[in-house]
Amino acid sequence: MAVIPVSGSEDFANLPMSPEETRRVVGDSVPLHDVDRSLVDGIDPLTYEVVRHRLTSITEEMGDALKRMSGSVVVTDCNDFDAGIMDEVGDVVQVGLYNTELAASLDMAANWTLRHRAHRPGIGQGDMFLCNDPWVGGGLHQNDVSLFAPLFIDGELFCWTGAVAHQVDLGGVSPGSWSIGATDVFWESVPTPPVKIVEGGEIRTDIEDVYLRRSRVPKLVALDLRAKIGANNVAHERIQALCDKYGAVVVKAVMRRTMDDAESRLRAKLRELPDGSWTSVAHQDSARAGDREIYKIVLTLTKAGDQLTLDFTGTDPQVDGLINCTFAGLRGGVIPVVLTMLCGDLPWAPGGIHRCIDIVSEPGTINNCTFPAGIGKASVASTWATTNVTTECLAGLLDTHPEHGKRAMSVCCGTWDFTLLAGVDQRGGGFVTMVCDSMAGGLGARTDSDGVDTGGLACIPMGRVADVEMNEFAFPMLYLWRREEADSGGPGRYRGGVGASSCFLPYGSPLGGVHLVVSAPGKALPLASGLSGGLPAGTQHDVLLRATSVHEAFAAGRIPSSLEELGGELDLLPTHHETDLGEADVYFTHWQGGGGYGDPLRRDPEAVAADLRAHKVSARAAADVYGVVLDDAGAPDPGATEAHRAALRRRRAGLEPEEAHA
Amino acid sequence: MAYVIGIDIGGTFTDAFVADETGRVAATKTPSTPPDFAEGFLTVLDDLAGALGIGTADLLADTNYIVHGTTSTLNALITGDVATVGFLTTRGHADSIAIMNLEGRYAGLGSDQVQDMVRTNKPAPLVPRELIREIDERVDYEGRVLVPLDEEGARVVIRELVAEGAQAIAVSLLWSFVNPAHERRIGELIRDEAPELYVALSSDVSPRIREYARSATTIMNTQVGPRLRDYLRPLEAELHSRGFAGSLLVMQGSGGCVDSSDAPSRAITTIGSVLTGGVVGCTRLAEQLGHRNVISTDMGGTTFLAGLVIGGEPVATTSTVLNQYSLNVPMVDVHTLGAGGGAIAWLDPGRNLHVGPRSAGARPGPACYGEGGTEPTVTDVDLLLGIVNPDNFLGGRKKLSKDLAAEAVRTRIAEPLGLSVDEAAAAVYAIQNAQTADLVRQVVVTSGQDPRDFVLYAFGGAGPMHCASYAADLEIGQVIVPLGPTAAVFSAYGLAASDIVLTEELSSPSNFPLPADEFNAAFTHLRKELEARLTAQRLRFSEVTYRNEVDLRYTMQLAEVPTPVPAGELDEAELEKIGLAFGELYERRYGKGSGFAEAGLQLITYRTRAVGELPIRPLLTEIPVAGGPARPNGHRRVFLDARRGWQQADIYDYRDLASGHEITGPAIVEAPTTTVAIPEGCAGRVDRLGNLVMRYNRSES
Amino acid sequence: MSIRIDDNLEQAADGSVSCRHCQAAVGVAAEPLRDARVRLSAPRDAGPSVRSNARHFTDREVVLRQSFCPGCLTMLQTEIVPGDEPSHRTRTVAVRA
Repeated sequence: MAVIPVSGSEDFANLPMSPEETRRVVGDSVPLHDVDRSLVDGIDPLTYEVVRHRLTSITEEMGDALKRMSGSVVVTDCNDFDAGIMDEVGDVVQVGLYNTELAASLDMAANWTLRHRAHRPGIGQGDMFLCNDPWVGGGLHQNDVSLFAPLFIDGELFCWTGAVAHQVDLGGVSPGSWSIGATDVFWESVPTPPVKIVEGGEIRTDIEDVYLRRSRVPKLVALDLRAKIGANNVAHERIQALCDKYGAVVVKAVMRRTMDDAESRLRAKLRELPDGSWTSVAHQDSARAGDREIYKIVLTLTKAGDQLTLDFTGTDPQVDGLINCTFAGLRGGVIPVVLTMLCGDLPWAPGGIHRCIDIVSEPGTINNCTFPAGIGKASVASTWATTNVTTECLAGLLDTHPEHGKRAMSVCCGTWDFTLLAGVDQRGGGFVTMVCDSMAGGLGARTDSDGVDTGGLACIPMGRVADVEMNEFAFPMLYLWRREEADSGGPGRYRGGVGASSCFLPYGSPLGGVHLVVSAPGKALPLASGLSGGLPAGTQHDVLLRATSVHEAFAAGRIPSSLEELGGELDLLPTHHETDLGEADVYFTHWQGGGGYGDPLRRDPEAVAADLRAHKVSARAAADVYGVVLDDAGAPDPGATEAHRAALRRRRAGLEPEEAHA
Repeated sequence: MAYVIGIDIGGTFTDAFVADETGRVAATKTPSTPPDFAEGFLTVLDDLAGALGIGTADLLADTNYIVHGTTSTLNALITGDVATVGFLTTRGHADSIAIMNLEGRYAGLGSDQVQDMVRTNKPAPLVPRELIREIDERVDYEGRVLVPLDEEGARVVIRELVAEGAQAIAVSLLWSFVNPAHERRIGELIRDEAPELYVALSSDVSPRIREYARSATTIMNTQVGPRLRDYLRPLEAELHSRGFAGSLLVMQGSGGCVDSSDAPSRAITTIGSVLTGGVVGCTRLAEQLGHRNVISTDMGGTTFLAGLVIGGEPVATTSTVLNQYSLNVPMVDVHTLGAGGGAIAWLDPGRNLHVGPRSAGARPGPACYGEGGTEPTVTDVDLLLGIVNPDNFLGGRKKLSKDLAAEAVRTRIAEPLGLSVDEAAAAVYAIQNAQTADLVRQVVVTSGQDPRDFVLYAFGGAGPMHCASYAADLEIGQVIVPLGPTAAVFSAYGLAASDIVLTEELSSPSNFPLPADEFNAAFTHLRKELEARLTAQRLRFSEVTYRNEVDLRYTMQLAEVPTPVPAGELDEAELEKIGLAFGELYERRYGKGSGFAEAGLQLITYRTRAVGELPIRPLLTEIPVAGGPARPNGHRRVFLDARRGWQQADIYDYRDLASGHEITGPAIVEAPTTTVAIPEGCAGRVDRLGNLVMRYNRSES
Repeated sequence: MSIRIDDNLEQAADGSVSCRHCQAAVGVAAEPLRDARVRLSAPRDAGPSVRSNARHFTDREVVLRQSFCPGCLTMLQTEIVPGDEPSHRTRTVAVRA
C-alpha cells in the first residue's frame, strides 16, 4: 500500500531554525537568557579556557552517569548513546564522544520544544522532555529516545542539556521494534513528540506509563529513563555551580565563543582546501522483507571559500519500507564524519560547525522522508548510507591537501549487521537483545595507512563489543567462533580494515530455541566504497544453517570452524528476515570492513605477505587482487611479483596479455 | 638490631629508606643504572649503610626484609623487550585478542586523541598470529564440559609453538575460571613436552569473566614473568652472597608486596610497582596524622598522578589499561592526569590558550632549563611568577634561566594574544590549576565521593607550587605537603612501611543471593589458596587479616561494585545484608535512584585479600620544636592569584623551620626537593613530623 | 602549479588532469576521468570479498565498473553498482584563475 499523506503531520516536520527566528516565535512565553556580543568578544583567554574545560568535563560526566545507570547492553557495553550541552535555543555547545549521530539533532528537538511547548504546557525549572519522534529530532529512529532538560538561572532559561540512547524495544510488530515487513510508520513503534515526562523534578507517572506500555521490556526502558534523568541532573548541578562561580553571562559567553571558535577554525581549514565539487552515491538493497530493489542516495558536496554545500538532489524518493530517514536522520548521517574527518582537531561544538554547512534536500526523498514513511531502521539504513556518501565526498575534498588529507578515510563498515535475539533466557526470564558484535566493523583505509581492523563504526568514536563470555552468560547462546574475516577489508594500496563474523547457536533456553530478526543490507552489492581506485570492502554475508550436525561434532570432540563442517541445510539470508532458531540451527553473521585506498597493485608486497600471515587476506586475494607472488617461506618474490602485476594490470583492464607489445 | 629497607627504582633515581625497630631512619638517593638496575640497587645499599655508619654486610645481615619497587616489568612491556610468547586458546576464539572488543583502538587515550578518531590505531598484536594456536575443547558458562580436551591435538600445537621459538606459553580458554580442568591439563602437557618453558594459565593469573582482558592479562604476565625471574634470581643470589639472610619482597601495583620467589608467576601484578609507593607512603603518613580521607597528588616533571585514600585504605581498582590493552590487575587506583611541570602551554589555530597534555618531558625540558626547549611550560611560568627561585631549584641542583622562560612565553603566548609576559604567565598558571582541579574532581566524583570530605596531600617537585590553588578550587580545607627528613624518598618510605598483600579471586557468576553453602565454599577455597601462598612467603607476620568481598551488580546493569563481606560462615540473612550494603554503595557511587533493584542482583566475582602485617612498621620521626617565630630569609615579588596580582612575599628556607612554625601567605617555602607556594588567605604550619600543613581562612575558600 | 586530486591524479593550472604515476593525460577539470579506460565486469571479479551472487538478492543487474589510466593502467576508480545507473562518482576541482 502506498504511503498516504497524513494531514496535521506537517506540525512535526521540523527544520533547524536560527536563534533570532526562535526568539521571535517564543516571544515572552519563556524568558531566554542572553549575553551581549561585546562580552563574547571581550572574554579573556584565561576565563575562556577554564570554563570551556569545565564544560567539557561536565559533558564527560554526563556520559559516565548515563552509562553507569543504564541497563541496556547497547549502552553499557556498546556506547550507543550520547549527551550534550546546548545553549538557550538549543544550539549544541559540546557533544560527547559516543554515538554522535544520535546527538546530531538534539538541537532540533530542544528548539522545537521551545517553540511548541513554551505556551502550553509551559517550560519551567525541573522539567524534562522526552522525545522519540525523528521528524522533530533528537534521534534517528523511534528506538533513539532523547531526554532534554532546560536549566533556569535567575528565572531565565539559561541552557539545555540532553541525553539520548538507543532503547532495545519500544513496541511495533517485530521484537526490537525492527518491523521488517513495515511499509509505513504505523507498523513501527509510535513516535512520541516532546512530552514533559519530568515536571518540577518529579517523574510524571501517567506519562511514564504511556511511554513504557508500548515496550516488550518496560523495566529496562524505565531504568534507562532514570539514567538519562541522572545524566541531566549531574549536568545541571555542575553548570549551576559554574554560573555561581563565574556568573551566568560569563558562562554563556564562553558557550557562544566555543561555537564561534569551532566555526571560525573550520572555516579557516576550509579556506586552505581548493574549491570544487565532489559527487558520489551510496546504495542500499531492500526496503523491507521481500523487497529486491536497490536504492540510492546521491550527494554533491560543493566547497566554495569557507562554506560547504551538501546537495542531495538525485536521491531516490521515499519508499514503502523501514529504511527511510527524516531530515534529522540526514543530519545525523552527515555530522559524524564532519566531526571525525574535518574536526578531529577542532572543538566538537556542532552549534558552530553547522553554520559552515548548507544542506539541500527535497522532502519526500529517502533521506528526508515525510510522515508516515517507515523509519524503523533509519539509523542504520538511510542515515548510515548518508554517512557513507558524505564520507566519500569529504574524503575526496580532503585528499587534495597533504596535511588535511591525513584525516581522510574511505567508507567505514558499510552498514550495521542487525541481529536481534528474543525469547526466554537460561534463567527463565523473557529477553530481547541486539547482538552488538558488528560494532567491530572495519574502518576505511587512510591516505597514508591501512584502515583499523575490527576498529569500529564511523559514527561512534568509542564503540565496543561485549566479550563472548558476557553474551553467553547473559543470553541463551553458544558461540562457535568470533573472528576477523580475511578479505573483508577493501583492497587497495592501503587496505581497508577487516570486518569479522560471529557464528552461534541457541543454547540453554527452556524453549529450546530463540527468535531471530535479521536486517542487514549490503548483500547484493558492497556498501563501503574505496577511494582513489581502491576497492570496496566485502559484502554482508549472513547464513542460516538448519539442522546441522553441530551436536554430533561436539560429541565427537570437535568444534566446527567452517560452515562446511557444520552440514545441515544452508539458507543464504536476504537483507530482511525473521525466524526461529532451533537447537541444532546455527547462525553465521559476517559484517563488513572498510573501503580500500589506491590501487591494490601498488601495495607494498611485504605488507601483503604480512596480511596473509595474519589472516587479513587470503592466498587467492594476495595473488589475484594484489598480484603478489610469494616464495616457499612466504616472502614476496620481487621479480615474479612484478611480472604477475604487469599481466594482471592488463587483464583487469580488459586487455589481452599479447597487446603488451603493441 | 633489625632493619627494614625500602628501595624504589624509578627511571631516573633509585631511592632508599631504612628504619630499625627503635625508630631510627635514614634515606639516600642515587642515579638509576639502566639497563642493569641491580647495579643501582647495590650502590644505594652501600649508601644506606654509610648513612647509618655501618658496613653493608652488617646492614644486610641484620635486615629482615627489603621491599623493592621496580619499574622493570612496566618498562619491559612499554619497550617491548619481553619474552616471545606462544598463546593457546579455545578453537574459534584466537582473534579475541586482536579484536580487543574494539575498545583497544582508543582505550587509555585522552579525549583529545579519541576525538581525532581517524588517526587512532590499535597497538601492535600482543602475539603474532603465527604463535597462536586453537585447541578443540569447550566448557559452557556453568562449567559443564561440552567438548573434552583434545590432548593429542594439544601436544601437536605445543610442539609447533616450541619449534617456532616460543620461550613461554600463555593459556586462556573460554570459561576456564569456572572450570579450569582443561587449562590445568594443558599446563601439564606443556611441562611434559617442554619442561623448561615458563607457563601461565588464565585460571591462575586472572580467574575472572570476560575472556579478552583475561587473555591479555595472561599473555602480558607470560611476557614479563621470565624477565622478572631472570632479574630477581641473580639479584637475590648477589644479596645473599653479601650476607643478606632476610626476604626480598617485591611491591605490587596493589600496594602490598609479595615474596620475590612468588613474584615471577604473577609478574603482571608488579606493573604499577613504582606508581603505588607514593600512595602507600601517603596512607602511612595519613595514619600518623589521623587523616581518613586523602587525595594524593604527585606532580613531577613529566606526569601528574592522583590517587585516593578513603577510610584509611588506598582506593584500589580491579583493572587497568596498558598499551591500550585492558588488564585484570588489582591495583591501587593511580590516575595519570596529563603532564606535570613540563606541560606545554600553546595556542590553537583559533588562538585559544591551552596547557598540556603534551609535555616537554625530561628532554629538552622547560625552556628555562636551557637545554634547547623553546616552548613555554608550566615550570617556566612558575619561574616567571616568582614561585621558583632560579638559583635554588631542586635545592640548587639545577640553575634556571628566567630570560629563556620569558622569551618562550613572550613569543609563543604573550605576543600572539596581545598580553604582557606577566599576564600570559599568570593565565597559564591559572589554567593549569583549574584544569588540575577538573581532573582531580573527576577522579574523586567517579569514585562516588565529594572532594570537600578530603585532605589533599601534594608532593613531587611541582605539586607544592600549585596545590594551594587547585585545592581551593576543589573547596578542600586542608593541604599537607610532606616535607620531613624523608620527603625526598617518600615512595621508598612507603615501600618499607608496606604489608604483604596477596589477592585471590574467582569469577562464578550467579544470581544473588545464592545458597549460603555455595557462597561460603567459594571463600573457603580462596582462603586455602591464600594460606598456602602466605606460608610460601617465608616471613613472620605480626598479624594476618583476610578481607572478603564480592563484585555484585544489578542484573540489568553493567557496573559491578566490590562489596565487603564479613568474615566467617554466613547464613542467608547475612547474605541479604550484603545485598543491602551493595545497594547503598551503588547509590553512593552512581546517585540516588540509580540502581534498578527490581531486576535482582548478580554476583560476578569473589575476592579475598590477605594482609600480612610485617613486624616492623617504620614511623616518620619527629623534628625539633621551634624556639621562636619563623624568620624569612628574604622577600620577592610573586604572582599567586589573579585576584591579588603581584605581591611581595616572604621567602623561607625550609631548613630554618621547626615544628610549630607558622607562616602566613603570601609566602614561599623553599625546600631541597620542592618549593611550596602559600597564597594570601592561606596559612601554613610546620607539624611535628616536618610537614607543612596549609589551611585557608574560612572567609577565603 | 598543479593540484593533487587524489593518490593517482593531479590537475595542472590550465585544468588538464593527468596521471601522477605516468603523466598520461586522463581528462579535464570538469571531467577528470574523461579519457580513462572504463571496463565493466561481474562484481565477483573484484575478488573473494564479494561473497555471493547479487542475483540471489536483487533482480537488477549489478556490475563492477572500473576506470584505468590510459597510460599505465593504474586503477583510478572502482565501484560496484546497479548496471542500469550511470556512474554518479565524479568531481571537479576548480581551476585557479
